[in-house]
Amino acid sequence: MRERFLFGYDPFVLPFTLGMVFIVLYLLIGSVRIILALNKEERLLLLRSMNPKQLLITAKDVFVDCLLHIKVFKRNILLGYMHFSIAFGWFMIILVGHLEVILYTPQRNGVLYYPVFFRYFVMETQQTLRGAFFFFLMDLFLLMILSGVALAIFKRFRSMALGMRRTTKLKIGDRFVLYSLWAIFPLRLLAESFTANISGGSFLTKSINHLVHGFVTNPDNALPIWWSYSIALGVFLFTLPFSRYMHIPTEIILIFLRNAGIKSTSYRNGYAESEIYSCSRCGICIDACPMGVNRGDIKFSTVYTIRLLRRRENPHEGAEKCLMCNKCVEVCPVGINSTRLKLLYRQSVNDSGQHDFSYLSLLRESDSSGKVLYYAGCMTHLTPGIYRSLFNILDKAGVEYSFMDKDGSVCCGRPLMLSGDVKGAGELIKKNTELIKASGCKTLLLSCPICYKIFRDEYKLEGIEVIHHSVYINNLLKSGKIKVKRGTGKYVYHDPCELGRGAGIYEQPRELLSETGILMDSPEERGESICCGGSLGSLTMSCDKRRKITEHALDVLNTNKPDIVATACPLCMRTFSPLNKKSETADIAQIISRNLI
Amino acid sequence: MKEFGYSLSPSSRVDLDKIDKIKQERLFALEPGFRKCMACGSCSATCSAGNFTDVSLRRAIAYIQNGQDLAALSLLKHCMLCGKCLVICPRGINTRNLIMNVLKVYGEK
Amino acid sequence: MNKEVLVIGGGPAGIECANSLISLGYKVFIVEKCSEPGGHLRKWDRLFPYGVSASDTLDKLLQKSGKAIFFYDTEVQTINQVDEKFVITLSDDTQLHVSSIVVATGFTLFPAAKKEEYGYGIYNGVITNADLEDGFKTHKKELFKANRVGFVHCVGSRDEKVCNRHCSKVCCVTAVKQACEYKDLNPDAEVYCFYMDLRMFGRGYEDLYLKAQNKYGIRFIRGRVSEVAEDVNGCLVVKAEDTLTSRPLKVTLDLLVLMSGMSKNDDNDKIADMLGIKTEEDGFLSLPEPTLNNCQTVTDGVFLAGSVTGPKTLPETLNEARAAALSVHKYLSR
Repeated sequence: MRERFLFGYDPFVLPFTLGMVFIVLYLLIGSVRIILALNKEERLLLLRSMNPKQLLITAKDVFVDCLLHIKVFKRNILLGYMHFSIAFGWFMIILVGHLEVILYTPQRNGVLYYPVFFRYFVMETQQTLRGAFFFFLMDLFLLMILSGVALAIFKRFRSMALGMRRTTKLKIGDRFVLYSLWAIFPLRLLAESFTANISGGSFLTKSINHLVHGFVTNPDNALPIWWSYSIALGVFLFTLPFSRYMHIPTEIILIFLRNAGIKSTSYRNGYAESEIYSCSRCGICIDACPMGVNRGDIKFSTVYTIRLLRRRENPHEGAEKCLMCNKCVEVCPVGINSTRLKLLYRQSVNDSGQHDFSYLSLLRESDSSGKVLYYAGCMTHLTPGIYRSLFNILDKAGVEYSFMDKDGSVCCGRPLMLSGDVKGAGELIKKNTELIKASGCKTLLLSCPICYKIFRDEYKLEGIEVIHHSVYINNLLKSGKIKVKRGTGKYVYHDPCELGRGAGIYEQPRELLSETGILMDSPEERGESICCGGSLGSLTMSCDKRRKITEHALDVLNTNKPDIVATACPLCMRTFSPLNKKSETADIAQIISRNLI
Repeated sequence: MKEFGYSLSPSSRVDLDKIDKIKQERLFALEPGFRKCMACGSCSATCSAGNFTDVSLRRAIAYIQNGQDLAALSLLKHCMLCGKCLVICPRGINTRNLIMNVLKVYGEK
Repeated sequence: MNKEVLVIGGGPAGIECANSLISLGYKVFIVEKCSEPGGHLRKWDRLFPYGVSASDTLDKLLQKSGKAIFFYDTEVQTINQVDEKFVITLSDDTQLHVSSIVVATGFTLFPAAKKEEYGYGIYNGVITNADLEDGFKTHKKELFKANRVGFVHCVGSRDEKVCNRHCSKVCCVTAVKQACEYKDLNPDAEVYCFYMDLRMFGRGYEDLYLKAQNKYGIRFIRGRVSEVAEDVNGCLVVKAEDTLTSRPLKVTLDLLVLMSGMSKNDDNDKIADMLGIKTEEDGFLSLPEPTLNNCQTVTDGVFLAGSVTGPKTLPETLNEARAAALSVHKYLSR
């Protein structure tokens, strides 16, 4: 193997080289901007993450998320393969390209364009096994990429086949990048094939070379193709920052920052910016969003809110309408915590400070030393069936308890938090903390996942166990303190957003239900459960639109014809109950209470 | 005319002619439910904060319609936005949005 | 000749319509899904505003319906139109050939358990208007021992959350009637009525309201009940706002009567589908000419009577039944 040209240069490399320089500078400036926007603590975190162990973890995450695309595979195999083949294949081609340069033309190591156009600049002097191996690898990965590109083109016309019902429309920048991306690899194949008789090649490039041999007897004929290949790369790199495909390089930055333990503190700058630019606008969140049943509300799905943020426009409507059910975060292949961004936006506009909670100081707590303290919260007061059933279970199990908010309660603060008023929520948290600590209780029992979420995440109740009733009842059952009769009732379990995605409690309620009846599957459950529509997360959604969401969620839950739609949230139950025409709606406590023996 | 040291105390009568209709329109645009209230009192009855202090969305809506903005504001500033009224309102008014927007529209200095 | 008519529903509307059709010389089939005629009227004790006995009223209606052919415990399975005739298959596989159909399927009483916050089915002291009426009828003595009684108006009516925006029209006066009757049976009882608006629109209703205030001392509180809880003694703690004084209010009661409203019949969609007619947003069957003709449908030969098209009082229902019979007559003698 030796070089064909003395200087190892041809003007056709310019489009690529300039594009590469541009994008590297762009990313560098972008990264610096993000780092500058971080606060002191975050920068410290970032600095601390610069140790070998942490870097190794990040490298692994980058490999798994950005190259293998495991998350997309989980969503749909074809879609996963499409991403995997292009990303991993391209990465391997770059890697092997560099290896080739190091091995065969070490003097060109470090020349930006050399590994990319290697086959143009070299000629094969003798066939070796090692050469054949590299050629084979290159052709193999190229084939892999081409299959991915073919799938991508197919997906443009038939997105349904790849498991995507709805996706976003391409903007002009996106089109440049997409079409140049599609063009890069076929052009590379052609270019390498045209010079394969000089540089050598493998099963793909050699075969094509044979096919078009008459055409390429003069190596000059190959030059336009190499130009086209370089131009395609150049166009891709130059337009990348103005397109959704900017997610490809940004995601690496995102993973890096995320692994350092940084969270967004502004809805638009710093870490948030790396999240915003990491959005590929794949649109998986559009299908996931419960608001999508109202066609006019599709425009408020997360992907469009993030697009507004990226364009530095006002995300107000989407951010306020969102149910904060977190399903989009759950399914996001990049792992963008968009709910947090929306919450931060709300904080920037709704932290009005007009609330006055001074009246709370009048409240006094009664003594509940050593007992279980039950806090119904606002919502459970509207579903006496739930707390009465729970008390029945507690009585049966011989648990001593007291009812903290029997005569009305201080709200847990979660709804205020969701509205963006952190300060107001803080006052409620402070008061409740005082009351609970003063009561001397050992366990705080909650039947409302909205309360549970904030008590678990934001309250500092050292020494007091905070537990949701679905878990508590399951513990009672497991320890034999209560017994239930096994019936033939068919249940389907609806995961409340705040309990499932919010607090990761998926198994205990299911264990409970399968102890007393037959637990059926729902087509969309656990992390993909559909919000009941009653969520306090949404600030502006109207009653009519909520109803549509509820009806859709119920249709999905009733798919397998259960007798009872079981849930573990008073708000979900109240939302479902009047609209559920096909089955009964009941809380998990009611079901267990009915079946106690 | 020279003012004397005393004047007639202001009339306690609501004067519908002097209401700030523009603000009301703004509020209506932000939360169309504003005009749907039938004054059943469910919201005030169920109110979590209403256990401890004077909070009443129903009354606040009536006050706003009468142009008594300050009275309305003072009735809503204790609200914890817990959402009970949202769940219970028989007219399906988005009460939380209404409360937040009353505080915004009428609370501006 | 074209003399057979099918009446779907054997309640007051169906029976009275049959009576009129029989007197006009038609042969009438009545399909009733229960085992007895009378619909909701059969379950009632006395009727507002004059306190007339419901069973006497039903008996009088039934006296004239001797010639009608009743199918009990039966529902209409399919309806096919062949030329100008309707071929009907019933759930017992009987086939009927008729020239005209009157739909008089009435309403469904709102299931009060759907209003979770009132605790129907959870607290023993919470009953519905139908339960109380049954108590009057069967002389359930223990029901009348309560010393503090509340009536909650508009349960499942005027409520978007349970998909019933409409006013059920009759509950206000029914509540006042029942409250008075309760006082008759237990003069010591304190009785409260929680209302949103009192709609005393009919002749004699306002008199009944006045009597309830004057003679029985019933306390009317303008406010919708928001929550019902139980205290340590098992008494009901009812919360509402007294909107007239703008004070949140709570009262401890022994018995709470929920005035369940009139919801659309659960079978309306099925029936409408079979007959090619539509339902409105509220679920009741739609009328193409609601002002000029409250019996007519878009399908020739199919007529409507009674509360299948919305909440109605009994006299209104009976009038409509007669009007429907006349419409059938006009249609068949065209």
